[in-house]
Amino acid sequence: MKRFAFNKKTKAILGVFAFPIVLIGLWQLFILAGFSSARFLPPPYKVLQKFVILFSEPTYSHHIAVSLQRVMIGFFIGTLAGFLFGLLMGLSKTAEKIFAPFFHAIRQVPMIGWIPLIIMWFGMNELPRVLIISVAAFYPITLNTFSGVRNVPREYLELASVYGFKGLTLIKKIIIPAALPSIATGISLGLAMSWSVLMVAEIFIQTALGVGTQIQRGRDRFDIALVIAGIITVGVLGYAMTVLVQKIVQAVERGRVISTEK
Amino acid sequence: MPNNKGTLQIRNLSKSFIVDNNPLQILNDINLTVHSGAFVTIVGSSGCGKTTLLRIMLGLENHYTGEALIDGKQIIGPGSDRGIVFQDHRLLPWLTVGENVAFGLDKLKRKEKKLLVDEHLKLVGLNGFESAYPSQLSGGMAQRVAIARALASKPEILLLDEPLGALDALTRMYMQQELERLWLLEKITMIMVTHDIDEAIYLSDKVVIMSSRPGVIKKIIDVPLSRPRDRASSDFTRIKAEILEEFHLGTEYPFAYAI
Amino acid sequence: MSKKFIQRLGLKDKLLALIVPLLVLAAWQGAVSQKLCSDLILTPPLTLLNTLVELAQSGDLTLNILASLKRVMIGFLLGGTSGFVLGILMALSPFLNSIFGPLIKALQQVPEFAWMPLIIMFLGIDESAKYFFVAIGAFYPMVLNTYQGVSGVPEKYHELARVFDYKSFRYLFKVIIPSALPSIITGIRLSLGLSWMFVVGAELFGSDSGVGYLMTWGRAVFQIDLVMAGLILVGVIGFAMNVLLEIAEKRFLLWREPVDGRPV
Repeated sequence: MKRFAFNKKTKAILGVFAFPIVLIGLWQLFILAGFSSARFLPPPYKVLQKFVILFSEPTYSHHIAVSLQRVMIGFFIGTLAGFLFGLLMGLSKTAEKIFAPFFHAIRQVPMIGWIPLIIMWFGMNELPRVLIISVAAFYPITLNTFSGVRNVPREYLELASVYGFKGLTLIKKIIIPAALPSIATGISLGLAMSWSVLMVAEIFIQTALGVGTQIQRGRDRFDIALVIAGIITVGVLGYAMTVLVQKIVQAVERGRVISTEK
Repeated sequence: MPNNKGTLQIRNLSKSFIVDNNPLQILNDINLTVHSGAFVTIVGSSGCGKTTLLRIMLGLENHYTGEALIDGKQIIGPGSDRGIVFQDHRLLPWLTVGENVAFGLDKLKRKEKKLLVDEHLKLVGLNGFESAYPSQLSGGMAQRVAIARALASKPEILLLDEPLGALDALTRMYMQQELERLWLLEKITMIMVTHDIDEAIYLSDKVVIMSSRPGVIKKIIDVPLSRPRDRASSDFTRIKAEILEEFHLGTEYPFAYAI
Repeated sequence: MSKKFIQRLGLKDKLLALIVPLLVLAAWQGAVSQKLCSDLILTPPLTLLNTLVELAQSGDLTLNILASLKRVMIGFLLGGTSGFVLGILMALSPFLNSIFGPLIKALQQVPEFAWMPLIIMFLGIDESAKYFFVAIGAFYPMVLNTYQGVSGVPEKYHELARVFDYKSFRYLFKVIIPSALPSIITGIRLSLGLSWMFVVGAELFGSDSGVGYLMTWGRAVFQIDLVMAGLILVGVIGFAMNVLLEIAEKRFLLWREPVDGRPV
């Protein structure tokens, strides 16, 4: 089979720039060829125009800020709770035996299934929105903290007992550092889940503010440019957050390597 | 000579790889004739190009200068006239032992296939294991299945790339006896790459000694001993000394090959 | 993971495992009977059971479950199959990979539920929109895992195929797909799990049948027992699909060597 022989650099540049350009070009061609009316699928420049309009007024930035704040609060609560719960089950076999079966059973229910019930319990408020986002982060962080804590190498624990580390010292000096890579995995998964569930929360639990709400509003007004602009905003923000968390995780791990080398 | 099947000729063969834009000579002017029905081993330190030479014979390496002929015909790609046993048994884990042996017989009818599979499993002493999976076999058993798979397509030449390298010492000696038995039974040409000198002397009519950088054939030593061979006999040790001598003189660091 | 975990438990452990569910049940019953909260907000456990039985007797249960399952199956087949085929093509052709790789990566950044309004604008709120939405959920895990599995086929197997002259479809079906099967099956599991989640989402969004509809209807007429019954069905059916796939996986992957700590 003959393969394309670009060198690495060209390939990287092509990968980054060529693709969106080609996609937008195809999109434009699709419309020029008359496959779709502008009302149904607006041409790319209309979406760009929409972006310019959206960002020229303070409301859109406000929607974004509200969404980010919502995710951050939910994610923070979910992370804290998941970390503590995972730590508890990881440290104590009894706690694991008591809580794990129930936890796994509840986990079987898709997040979306809870929506009608929590709306009935809490109403169309901020509380159920934040709650469902934190639960989304809670699952992966609990699981990964648990497995990280449970799989601390026996050698480290033996070392700790030689030095007489116990209780909180043991947890702080040995167990959490050793479990950190696993916890970090849980946190990045948790953030991705939170961001995904934010859309569920904003679309299903009606609210005035948020990017998901804007997408919904676009649908109600049959403003496809707004819907597409919203989708792009959500995608870009999600990507930016993923990259940010990856960078933080990498930095933490680099710091660890240096500190263990000393 | 050319009318005997399973004759291999290598003429003036050289091969180099490009490493960091510099050509690295792997094989240099190799000339070798393996007669029909012979058992020849190629020994040498790692990096001497013996595996590359075997892969050329198999048809997996195609860019070289010179000629590689089987029964007078140029080797172009792998073919059913040659069988191969790799160092790792390379059985497909999702196929049973029987299906693995039948892997090269895909074009045959079901009945013929079954006949050949049964015959060759029996040949390597594994009848009754048809429906086992490779993960259930020991290393020696897996390698016997690999040999059965290679022999089932009735090759004229069986190429063996350190086939016993991954086995423990005792299994290894037992498998050497098995290989000799199969060779005597099948009467085909066998060419084996190894770095075990005892193994080479025990099995082969001729031992081809290669040295590295670039890979050349240093010497070809005949092993005119009767079979089965006694590893402790004086003739055996004499030939072994002769081969070891070649390595000592040939390398800058005499013991490097043993590492 | 959960199933293996439960099998490992001894009698004492089983009793320990019952503590939380029993406490929850007691608190639930207690809250209702002590009038701590109205039964408009929380259905007593027995009433809930009764609701489920009634739903089953009236035939509504079967009808709605079947409606959801039909959507899952169609969406899953559409999305899963296209993910499977595209995953194979991308892994085998660097050219196709350079086209579709970035596209999939970019689209994946968007949370799936954000597509929902757009899909409904294009396709209306009828069945085809639901199939399409479920297909999106099924597509990603399938294409990613198939791609990973196929591009991870060890070089030694490719070599073996060359030696034994395996080409085109024989090569694909006898070497490549079997070798990638563990990864593909992981893809199927994730894919089916997401399909189930998305079908419920699509039904909550707007529908006149299905388990999700049962819940929206319950909410509309303020019958909390229907909402809770729906929730239980969502969990149980999702769990049942997972168990069925686990059984299928064991059957298909009999050959796999036992690896300790493999997630089950």
